[in-house]
Amino acid sequence: MSLSRRDFLRMGFLAVCGTVIPLGSLEILKPEAMASLVHPYSKRKRWAYVVDTTKCVGCGMCVKACKLENEIPFNADVQRTWVERYVQLNSGEVIIDSPRGARYGYTSNDPQGRAVEQDEIAKGFFVPKLCNHCEKPSCVQVCPVGATYATPDGVVLVDRKWCIGCGYCITNCPYFARFFHPVVNTADKCTFCYHRITKGLNPACVQACPFGVRKFGKLNDPDSEVFKIINTERVAVLKPEFGNEPHVFYIGLDHIVR
Amino acid sequence: MSHAWRPVAVVFGVILCMMFFRMLFKPSDFKAANGDYKYQYHRVKSEDDWKSFKVKHMGTEFCAECHPDKIEIVKGSGHSTVKCENCHAMFEPSKKGHEKVDLKATKQYLLDIGIDRSRELCKRCHAKISYRPQVVKMIDPNTHNQGIECVNCHDVHRTSFK
Repeated sequence: MSLSRRDFLRMGFLAVCGTVIPLGSLEILKPEAMASLVHPYSKRKRWAYVVDTTKCVGCGMCVKACKLENEIPFNADVQRTWVERYVQLNSGEVIIDSPRGARYGYTSNDPQGRAVEQDEIAKGFFVPKLCNHCEKPSCVQVCPVGATYATPDGVVLVDRKWCIGCGYCITNCPYFARFFHPVVNTADKCTFCYHRITKGLNPACVQACPFGVRKFGKLNDPDSEVFKIINTERVAVLKPEFGNEPHVFYIGLDHIVR
Repeated sequence: MSHAWRPVAVVFGVILCMMFFRMLFKPSDFKAANGDYKYQYHRVKSEDDWKSFKVKHMGTEFCAECHPDKIEIVKGSGHSTVKCENCHAMFEPSKKGHEKVDLKATKQYLLDIGIDRSRELCKRCHAKISYRPQVVKMIDPNTHNQGIECVNCHDVHRTSFK
């Protein structure tokens, strides 16, 4: 194949343009915006939560404290944190309930209102639940207006002034941690009591728990209790298969917990 | 210009209009913190909105300002880990009542404080459920002095009998 000087220059020029133009268009789209699609697991100091389910007696004081602290209407059946009861019978049947989010506590053995005989029960326990403040929150990704976001210290918040109340985030949370606030009329969720933790206080639910079930602190801070537990004890997270990297760690989880 | 370019011009015009309106309505502090457009693209002032939310549960130290004697009694009792607000913060308006001092006016304290003498409150921890962890003393509410308030016999602060 013979190549004239003119053709060689022309093809060389096109080749250079061809490689430079994609780089230029990336510049317009901001490379850091593209880079954020690949977000490595962070080693920065961020908030984390530990729930020791083996100690939970199901008194529901955490739910009550959360509702009062965060101005969630007490009699509305929405809550930022709730306590679930799991009862497995000898037949293998699992009964799960959380009457009114357990804001009045569990005062009798009546899972789902059923009278269950003492000797029928194989095992039973209580599991407090709340927003998992995921490292990769799927609720944030779906927000069409940028009203929900993760703070640099790992707390997922809702911007009440910017939320349009479309409810995508509520349906996209695999942990059912979000709800529609009946008074503010926006999506609402646990904030780890952002107003308290930024002042050096514990979240209201952690302070309210008389049994030391709930623990709160900074991950990667060697002095925090949460760091010590996560690094020395056997902890698990809920629904790891969703890949959200939840940051509420549980001691004493069971395979029947959903 | 060929007629084929006219719709292209319309599309570009629409895009320009949308960008103009976006410029008008987008708050100036809408930013992607740490370059994270995926999870941290938000109105930065919203963080301050949440930080300025009012703290309501002030803890045992706040109550100790006026009731140091009561706090000392509870500290030495079986209820040492129970906070004042667990039992005394009221969600039912009928039960509230901190009569001598108006906490809202004098201390900017926002919860309703009162005394709940109902059995339901004690049952939250002390009702016998077979799978409840054995960390507290439990009674069967159906057989244990039904119809009588717990505080008739029990001193809740001292966790002893009256």
